[in-house]
Amino acid sequence: MKRNYLKYAFRTFALLLMFPVVLRAQEERKLVPVARTYALTHVNIVQAPGRKIEMGTLIIKDGLIAAVGKTVAIPPEAIVIKADSLYAYAGFIDGLSRTGVLKPKEESKERVKDPGNPPPDRAGITPQNDVRSFLNTGEKGIEELRNLGFTTAQVVPYGGMLPGSAAIISLENTSPDAMVMIPQSSFYSELTPAERVYPNTLLGLMAKWRDLYRNAALQKSYASLYASNRNGLERPASDRILDAFYPVIDKRVPVLFKAEKLLDIQRVLTLQHDLGFSVVLADVKEGWDYIPKVKGSGAKVFLSLDLPEEKKEEKKEEKKEEKKDVKDDKDKKEIKKPEPEIATDSVEKIALEKRKADFIALYTSQALAFQKAGVTFGFASMSAKTKDIHANLLRMIKAGLTEDQALAALTINGAQLLGISDRTGSIDPGKMANIVITEKTVFDEKAKIRYVFVEGVMYKIEGEKSGGDKKTEKP
Amino acid sequence: MQTTIIYDFKMIVNMKKIIYSFFFFAVVCHANAQVEKGSLLIKGGTVLTVTKGTLEATDVLVKDGKISQVGKGLTAPAGVRVIDASGKFVMPGIIDAHSHAGLDAVNEATSPVTSEVNTGDVLNPFEMSLYRALGGGVTTIHAMHGSANAIGGQCETIKLRYGVKDPDALRMEGAPRTIKFALGENPTRVHGAGNGILPRTRMGVEFVIREAFSKAKAYGEAWDKYNKGKGQKGFRGAPPAYDLRLETLLDILKGNIIVHCHSYRADEIFMLLKVCQDFGVKRLVFQHTNEGFKVAPELAKFGAMASVFADWWAYKFEVYYSTAYNAAILTRNGVTTSINSDDGELMRHLYHEAGKTQKYGALSDDEALSLITINPAKQLGIEARVGSIEVGKEADIAIFSAHPLSTYAIPLVTVVDGIVRFDREKDQDDMRIYIDPKLAADASVGMDRDHDSDKCMQDAEEMFDNIFDLH
Repeated sequence: MKRNYLKYAFRTFALLLMFPVVLRAQEERKLVPVARTYALTHVNIVQAPGRKIEMGTLIIKDGLIAAVGKTVAIPPEAIVIKADSLYAYAGFIDGLSRTGVLKPKEESKERVKDPGNPPPDRAGITPQNDVRSFLNTGEKGIEELRNLGFTTAQVVPYGGMLPGSAAIISLENTSPDAMVMIPQSSFYSELTPAERVYPNTLLGLMAKWRDLYRNAALQKSYASLYASNRNGLERPASDRILDAFYPVIDKRVPVLFKAEKLLDIQRVLTLQHDLGFSVVLADVKEGWDYIPKVKGSGAKVFLSLDLPEEKKEEKKEEKKEEKKDVKDDKDKKEIKKPEPEIATDSVEKIALEKRKADFIALYTSQALAFQKAGVTFGFASMSAKTKDIHANLLRMIKAGLTEDQALAALTINGAQLLGISDRTGSIDPGKMANIVITEKTVFDEKAKIRYVFVEGVMYKIEGEKSGGDKKTEKP
Repeated sequence: MQTTIIYDFKMIVNMKKIIYSFFFFAVVCHANAQVEKGSLLIKGGTVLTVTKGTLEATDVLVKDGKISQVGKGLTAPAGVRVIDASGKFVMPGIIDAHSHAGLDAVNEATSPVTSEVNTGDVLNPFEMSLYRALGGGVTTIHAMHGSANAIGGQCETIKLRYGVKDPDALRMEGAPRTIKFALGENPTRVHGAGNGILPRTRMGVEFVIREAFSKAKAYGEAWDKYNKGKGQKGFRGAPPAYDLRLETLLDILKGNIIVHCHSYRADEIFMLLKVCQDFGVKRLVFQHTNEGFKVAPELAKFGAMASVFADWWAYKFEVYYSTAYNAAILTRNGVTTSINSDDGELMRHLYHEAGKTQKYGALSDDEALSLITINPAKQLGIEARVGSIEVGKEADIAIFSAHPLSTYAIPLVTVVDGIVRFDREKDQDDMRIYIDPKLAADASVGMDRDHDSDKCMQDAEEMFDNIFDLH
């Protein structure tokens, strides 16, 4: 019997060997960090624009800033990071972005039979959508923005004119729900008409906005009448789309509008004037001529971090190409590339180029214009390319915005406009540990970001070149 | 100021907010853009007042945007610019009653009835065609919705205050509300042929309009009933739904909006007269109306007006039966007639278009000039303010090198609200206000197309693809 058993065991074992089984020896386990306390020593701390501590100590504990000062006692369990000659700033805040939001797949849409009465989702009318349903921790934008020093962003869903509600998130990668700091922070809208169905143009969009809002107000007032005594009255219609407007009508939540160009701003403020909601203008690019009206409307502003390309950049690219040619010549000994003829531009073209350059300068000095007019503003990264953001900030500073003002817009002012300045936006005890550690000051041309703390979780930023591909390593 | 008397606000929570949001603000109440006004003295020109005869070697004094004096030997206060118009001709600024210039969108062509939309929402003060029109002596235009829909959108009367950056500053504040209707091939092709929905024939167009008006009437009655009931004690009832489309149609029935109807054939013109009669709509202007001459007496009897082309036809089947005598015949039969352009290029020589009626119809100088000044003003409801050179009227003036009806006339200076908005001697090469940083520096801006088709179908062209399944 024993012998049979052995044979049987041997055969079974041999059989099993034929079927490879994945051995999960190294499971991906989320290891709890050794400690949630960090101490950064000898670091230059910029608590907020105008408040600086040279060679100080910063203690982070359990996701919050525990202590800041010149000499502070370091808790025994703290992981000490020697931050000699590094700079610490409050993490940057992005007023409008789609970081972390999965882009929906392009579906081929069936033709709508009656374009005048399309289903609401085809019309882009989905205000009941919540961006939280679309958050994905794998979206690479989270890491890209974080590598630039951003720790907090207000994100919105994809869609048409009424994509849904926004949420304020922390740029970390644990889980969609853990990321969310404030759900349904704003009611998001864009001046984006629908394709091939009503509203197909801005004309229809403006009218539809008014119609929806007024119907929502009417439905809401009837619903409250009905609620007071439900007997004897026809019950109110239930409409998820109109229901989504209720917090806006109550002014508990503002309407967050993407308004890039001057005419966009004017049209948004027209709707605001007609309907009376409180409004946040975001990703503003051409606002300088409309500042008095923006001020008068009480709108909050997030300026765009995107700037139009300047012609100078083209010359730099030419130089790089020339360098490459030199290398080729050495190797292949080809015919020397003839010097490109500098075409003598006509007087007219020179004047047009100058006009264009002067106009582009207005974009660069937009932040300064808002600053001078006394309008508090934050920044939004929605239409900016991450690789250009640092350079664009430098351009704005070159145009006259001070570094402190730029820092304020990225941190404390952005926090104030989002209503979170009590818990983030500056390096003060008790606030969330959203911190950026840089080599050289943050607006230096060659500034490099070394660490980013998002709610006390440290991300180390590797990478040789500033602006190049960065890898983050989470210890 | 129009108020929709539909709503009683007492029962509604947050009274102020809802009142505010339900009040249909007429253009007057919209964000008050400060309109720049100027003062001028135009000396010694031949003044063509249009309504009060021609005055030789006469001065026109403008104070704060209004014509304050017309006479001889006038003097300007210190600091006021003097324009020497001796040997030149001074006429009221030209008014184009049919244009699509200055708009970022023209046709909301997805539904046959879109009365709720308003071109005033999509004004674009940077469009170069506005400046070019000034170069042709035009000072006011009727920026219209396109002709893709049987009942189109509301239109905006704007003054060519080129140079302003705020779209609100273009509006002619206080001008009456207007709306675009369209009959014939355009709505039937876009909706019927293109999408297989009503209307597909002229019968269908009539039905669409009748149905829309009937629905609006029922809507008004439902709200009246609700409001009456609300006043009574112990009333508990649900309000009807709010519908901006029906609200606007109701305003038409109440006479608060002037209907401007794109039409060509006599049968459809006659049809609309009957529909308007049935529903009590009295303020009516027919646009294009190439066969208007066939029904001129009927138009005059109704009190409808007509805005026509001088000599543009045969680009569609419904525009075949036409005549260059159209404007003259209508005028002689007592119809207030104007000549319009519906085109960015034609707009720049409306004074020549008017001149054609002297060859085709032997209209007098003042009759011909009326076609582009006081008559379109009447059709837009602004004749008390512009359209002639009279003391008290707004200073919208055009100065020409020769009599405007002469082939040799060249517009020299165009004044809007007393501000010189076009001066041939100071016309820069680059008159752009805003520049698109994405375009090449020397990219051409705002090319106006040839008029091989009327611009009324802009934005709706893709709908035509559907006809032959060419999506």
